Amino acid sequence: MKKSILFNYMSLLAMVGLLSCGNDPIDDSGLLITSRAQCYVTAFDLLGSDHRTVLVSGQTKIDTTALTVLAVARFGTNMQRVKPFCSVVTDAIVEPNMGVWTDFTQAQKYTIVSGNRQVRKTYTVTVTLQQ
Amino acid sequence: MRPYLSLLIPTVAVLITAGCQSSVAPDKPFKNDLLKKTTGPAVVGDRIEFAYAIGTVEGDLKNVKAEASLAGAAGTGFSRFSWYTERSTGVDKPQQTATDTITNGTVSTASILDVATNKAVTLRYYYYPTADAKGKDVSFRFSATSSTGAEVSFQSPVYRVSNMDMKRTIVLGDGAKAYVSLADMTAYTKAEVEQNNLAGKIDFVYVYRPTINTYAFGHALVAPSNSDYLKDVTLPTGLAKPRTAIDKRVDVKDAQLRGTAGFDVYIDDIDLQKTTFANAADYAYGLAVDQGAFVKTADGAYTAYVYVNAVNNTAKTMTVSIKRLKLN
Repeated sequence: MKKSILFNYMSLLAMVGLLSCGNDPIDDSGLLITSRAQCYVTAFDLLGSDHRTVLVSGQTKIDTTALTVLAVARFGTNMQRVKPFCSVVTDAIVEPNMGVWTDFTQAQKYTIVSGNRQVRKTYTVTVTLQQ
Repeated sequence: MRPYLSLLIPTVAVLITAGCQSSVAPDKPFKNDLLKKTTGPAVVGDRIEFAYAIGTVEGDLKNVKAEASLAGAAGTGFSRFSWYTERSTGVDKPQQTATDTITNGTVSTASILDVATNKAVTLRYYYYPTADAKGKDVSFRFSATSSTGAEVSFQSPVYRVSNMDMKRTIVLGDGAKAYVSLADMTAYTKAEVEQNNLAGKIDFVYVYRPTINTYAFGHALVAPSNSDYLKDVTLPTGLAKPRTAIDKRVDVKDAQLRGTAGFDVYIDDIDLQKTTFANAADYAYGLAVDQGAFVKTADGAYTAYVYVNAVNNTAKTMTVSIKRLKLN
């Protein structure tokens, strides 16, 4: 009886050990590649040189079908030096990276890549300035 | 008795005996120590503060001396007052503990008062860097003597005096002293710019507009190159139109420019050397108290941080303080 309990315990331990050694795939940035195929933007923000948002509240429209983001920056914003940020669905990534000073006098394109890295959707982000 | 008890009892006895020592005799009867209280850079126009502590159990404290490797400006020397915290209020209070505070060249001295009771005191020493000391290293040797003839000393580390210039409390007025020259670190009126032929030295203009095109605008610094926000301003005759780079900040509350304690944030030489102005605007608007802007002159000669001390919407004024670094 004692032997049987010990055997079961050791088997369980071995199984946990084997599972924990699973070699989950990661991408070039060291991020986990998962099974998620969802691929969309959930939020967008734009910061000025003072690291405060320049967007007019409630004016940002994200269209996950047309793959567009439309936003309005406050009067006086220096559109040549703003820093974009966004939120995306779980495990997805953005290419190229946001969070760098960017010239938004023209619309910018960002590609969202799903968690499984199989689905890619390119969004066009257009920010207009209050005149 | 179990065997481990025979070990435990003597150990506890030793610990109790050692732990009950009422006091430890000082290894030296006359000691000193030094604390640099100032955490910010040594900037011309501000001071570095040291707390020099001495104490003796033999004889009386007699006098103290500080030798700076570079002579300081006016105000350098020992303070006659030590400070203590009043227990009932928690407020720091001064108490005179020294007299004959004299500074002669690089040497500052002071004599201790009430030596019968002042067996241990901490004196403040203030050092004001001179303009000649900018970019140079300065160090200090503190020493004290007692009535027994004993002497103690403390050599400070080396401190680099900043290359920055600082000017506080410059009052800008919309339509008045609105024209600022970073080379002069001064604000001028339109008439002064014209009369003194300063048109080539103006780096930015102060304006106050509550709104522009119905949008909030407020207090602003605008480079002469920007026609959008200066279109209703009659600029001084011959004013050059340099595109001064102006990059707004809201979270750089420099303690020296602010002029109050409690904010251990400082603009140092390296900040003005390393700040980049890629695609920076030529204006900063909506400026409020404690905000500011990094500014770089169009000719690249100066980088500065302009800090907002106060704004007054009714008087249309803004009080600023400036740290400036000459780049070339």
